[in-house]
Amino acid sequence: MNIYQPHLMRIREITDETVDTRTFKLEFQDPSIGQTFAFQAGQFGEYSVFGEGESTFCIASPPTRSGYIECSFKATGKVTSALRRLAVGDTVGFRGPYGNHFPLEKMKGHSIVFIAGGIGLAPVRCVIWNVLDLRDQFKDVTIIYGARTVADLVYKRELDEWAARQDVKLCLAVDPGGETPEWKGMVARIPTAVEKTVSSAEDTFAVICGPPVMIKFTLPVLEKLNFPGDRIYTTLENRMKCGLGKCGRCNIGPTYVCKDGPVFTAAELRALPQEF
Amino acid sequence: MTRKFITQQELALLVGNLLAAHTRVIAPVRDEEDPRQVDYKPIESFSQAVFGAAIPRRSMKEFFLPITEVLLSYKLTHEGVKITEVPTQAPPQVIFGALPCDAAGLKTVDKVMNWDYRDELWFGRREASTIVTFLCSVMDHTCFCTAVGLGPEDSKGSDAMLIPYEGGYIAQLVTERGEKLFEGVGTAATEIMISASEDTGKAARAKVEPNLPAIPGELSEWLKQNFNHPVWKTIALRCHGCSACAALCPTCHCFDITDEHTSAEAGTRRRNWDSCQTSTFTVHASGHNPRASQSERFRQRIQHKFSVYPSRFGEMLCTGCGRCSRVCPGGMDLPTIVGELVSLAKSESEVSGQ
Repeated sequence: MNIYQPHLMRIREITDETVDTRTFKLEFQDPSIGQTFAFQAGQFGEYSVFGEGESTFCIASPPTRSGYIECSFKATGKVTSALRRLAVGDTVGFRGPYGNHFPLEKMKGHSIVFIAGGIGLAPVRCVIWNVLDLRDQFKDVTIIYGARTVADLVYKRELDEWAARQDVKLCLAVDPGGETPEWKGMVARIPTAVEKTVSSAEDTFAVICGPPVMIKFTLPVLEKLNFPGDRIYTTLENRMKCGLGKCGRCNIGPTYVCKDGPVFTAAELRALPQEF
Repeated sequence: MTRKFITQQELALLVGNLLAAHTRVIAPVRDEEDPRQVDYKPIESFSQAVFGAAIPRRSMKEFFLPITEVLLSYKLTHEGVKITEVPTQAPPQVIFGALPCDAAGLKTVDKVMNWDYRDELWFGRREASTIVTFLCSVMDHTCFCTAVGLGPEDSKGSDAMLIPYEGGYIAQLVTERGEKLFEGVGTAATEIMISASEDTGKAARAKVEPNLPAIPGELSEWLKQNFNHPVWKTIALRCHGCSACAALCPTCHCFDITDEHTSAEAGTRRRNWDSCQTSTFTVHASGHNPRASQSERFRQRIQHKFSVYPSRFGEMLCTGCGRCSRVCPGGMDLPTIVGELVSLAKSESEVSGQ
């Protein structure tokens, strides 16, 4: 099998997260691949609709749950629009897993603060479930998640689940003006929500993903809390074609997002040329 | 390394035998409409080949990384999608009269094609190919192979190299594949012949060397440290972003992957040549483009060739063939540009050293 050959996957379940964001639960058509398929939190894949092309997303489900993978996407371009036209039972192509991953082993025994904005929760959710499935191996778990409006929050059913758990501290926020009369969460942007929720960086890792502007204004807040740059992890997405270090498209200076990333520390990002 | 003397007739016979056995033979061939121009093309008879006439317009990378190639074909049926894989084994091909810089380029690109994941389509063709280079005699003022550590007599990437000698050639058999191709052909080269072929090589080098001094290894680090240097703002003002340079380059290997329907129910997934010089290369679905201006895209080209690739793979992603300079409609001249960057790096290190 050549390296550009995808596996065939069947759509087992479709969940609408928001008006434009959808989650697929996918299973390998060949059950023997499904049994041996392994990945780690933070890795990505090339998903394809035959006749339309391939598109790059992270695997949004945790590696602790086998037999399927999930991906969440927003209908934006040609391939994501085509994905949206598919129904349960339809076939998609999948190549992966590619790239590096979040250092779960290193995080074990420590507290973790998860910070996500909008659909940036997809890659973070993979780590969250990974950690929650091994809950006793970690200290405090804090999740700070926000979106522009209440309607833009993804994985709502899981937000309720996390809110109900005693071993998770959940802070939900929407931008000012994005709240509804029933909204019980915070009305604040993410940097403010972090400032109000997190009190100490001691013995804690931060995992952050969201729009560039959110990350830009949240990093200084984390630094003020004394999070060192090598304990803040994020994940980057650049346009990719191969995912394998060959097509020459995703590099930021000397760093290949597909091979050296997509997971980077804040310290690593600072050292990169600002071309992403 | 074995060296043999081979007459012109023996070479013609060898090529004739290969063609008779239906082996694909590729050689420089004159363009029918513009006989001054030469292209690498499959030949049907030895007489079509022209050796030492001109630098072929395109490098020979298309015989290893085709301009467009099928990665898989698919069929949409009521039961689901059916995929047909493409074979990764290629039929044998022999290239006669390749330029040493073009052969070296393949060897350079091998490294990225084997970077953790092996590109079997590339290596399928590489392994099925025998490359016979001719010591370069067609260099011009734009060539700078000697500045990137190669040379008109350098056999990097060659299975055999032929050097003209009195009615025939001295064949240097570099690899086993080269030995095999010339098995039973020619006679052992004499000391005089070997010494004469070495002199030919030195004379050829001397023609290229004045074009650009050797690019120092320190350029790679300087480029890394000077990503935001003001020179990038002005260096690419004449670049149109047409990407002709990348199309002709023996080492540019960037590609796109797209699906194309051949009917309502079937089609192919293809790999097509692409280039970091085009404005859409890195555009995200959101519209955000990390390399929004041409100067950023040209910086990427220079950085990739002279810093990123050397730091990843230990060699420059450039063979000094000069095609990018010859084809550029804006007159961007790579040896001049690289020469200026080297001087800039040197002058800055002198200033900081004082």
